[in-house]
Amino acid sequence: MEATISAHMPGLVARVIVGEGDHVSKGETVAVINCMKTELAVISEHDGKVKQVLVKEWDEMDVGSPMIILESNEVK
Amino acid sequence: MFKKVLIANRGEIARRIMRACRQLQIKTAAIYSDADKDAFYLQEADEIYNIGPANPLKSYLNNEAIISAIKKAGADAVHPGYGFLSENYSFAEAVVSSGVTWIGPPPDVMKAIESKCYCREIASRVNVPIIPGTKAPFGNLDDLYKAIDEFGLPAFLKLDKGGGGKGIEVIQDMAQVREVWERVLRVGMVAFDSTDCYLETQVVNPRHIEIQFISDKSGNCICLGERECSPQRKHQKIIEESPSPVVGKKERLALYDYTRKLVVGMGYEGAGTIEFLRSNQGEFHFMEVNARLQVEHPVTEFLSGVDIVKSQLEIAAGENLPLKQEDIKLDGHAIEARVYAEDPVTFSPSPGKITKLQFPDMDSRHLRIDHAIEEGSSVLPYYDSLIAKVIVWDTTRPKAIDRLAEALTAFKVEGIKTTIPLNLQILASEEYRDGDFDTSLVEILLK
Repeated sequence: MEATISAHMPGLVARVIVGEGDHVSKGETVAVINCMKTELAVISEHDGKVKQVLVKEWDEMDVGSPMIILESNEVK
Repeated sequence: MFKKVLIANRGEIARRIMRACRQLQIKTAAIYSDADKDAFYLQEADEIYNIGPANPLKSYLNNEAIISAIKKAGADAVHPGYGFLSENYSFAEAVVSSGVTWIGPPPDVMKAIESKCYCREIASRVNVPIIPGTKAPFGNLDDLYKAIDEFGLPAFLKLDKGGGGKGIEVIQDMAQVREVWERVLRVGMVAFDSTDCYLETQVVNPRHIEIQFISDKSGNCICLGERECSPQRKHQKIIEESPSPVVGKKERLALYDYTRKLVVGMGYEGAGTIEFLRSNQGEFHFMEVNARLQVEHPVTEFLSGVDIVKSQLEIAAGENLPLKQEDIKLDGHAIEARVYAEDPVTFSPSPGKITKLQFPDMDSRHLRIDHAIEEGSSVLPYYDSLIAKVIVWDTTRPKAIDRLAEALTAFKVEGIKTTIPLNLQILASEEYRDGDFDTSLVEILLK
């Protein structure tokens, strides 16, 4: 099944750390959002494989903006 | 005097500069990003120009877009405010070469003093004490080890062209050297386009004290007292006051002397600030030059009665300062609290809509609030978290502290978190009231 990693804070995407096909573990930082000049880590809540990266550097994020789609074997 | 000034900034400082321009009957051109298009303060400008999307790299930090706005507006001068492009000499040079006056120090001076090591060199040449450490910048790990051999640990590894509290890290012991080195280098590459570093020994329990000066083209340099800026969080100031509880007449004169020597040594013109660190033994060391108007300039304005922004405009227009040092009277006590849109304990940013807003009500002799917010407006996640500066004046330090606490208590902001509770906690603390604190004050209070 799929899991979406979303922005937990509004701001600008400072960095996307993972790429499509990468394996991601629960608790891993997958991207960084710059909010008010503070860098905040976006952390995956699931184990899985990156199916799609939906954002790029400097995209504007709201709370809940989808960032990364994971293929995950976990049951939600 | 200028006919039209373009303000290359946003928020409270854009408003502040517009106010000075209005008083001097200068027309103002404001710039705004897409995210700021509904900001109410833009109505206070005579003209407004869109300079691009929310992302500051594409708007407020975008040389080309701003230069094109300057040309469209037909402005004859540019005020950069603080932050953004205010200390960027390429931008200043581009402004000047398009035939427009730069309201700030000359671009070639800006370029030179961007290097902290260059400033340290000048300071030692004119006999102003510097923090022990390397004078020439270095770019490799071997040189860092050599510097540690010479100056010892703990020490700060700093970027030669860093700023804003970024690119400064303490090295406690040898095991940390490589790790800190790599981290500072990364910040240098990403944020400052330069990885030159220098090493400075750690001043124990320092206080951060700075001198505001204004220097005109004919070499008249006046000092407007010191500002005590030790209460800080995340290497950024949160409460500033003048005078400092630990600076007496003798220390002030010594700091003025250091300041003048540095101003002459650098060839600096305009308003600026020299930052010093005071050790717990009472020794002052030159730290750095801030080649711009500073966030906390109202503290000095409230105490001295000198309008620093107006002076900047007059000096840039080629006028000489109408004041001499002996005209400067510093009466009473002024304190500023910076209110940030942040969680007051974790400092996590708190952007969002201000659902309810009530400003304290006090006469303008005692209270000044510089801000660019209104009820219903949004504090944006793309820019700095500073939302207001609350500045008070009173005859004595204890009275000023009480007054600031009263003002902050009556300042109601709903919808977002602010640092007001932390500002109040600092003001209420025994350490602050006794004047017995250093840059670790906030850390100690939050333990």
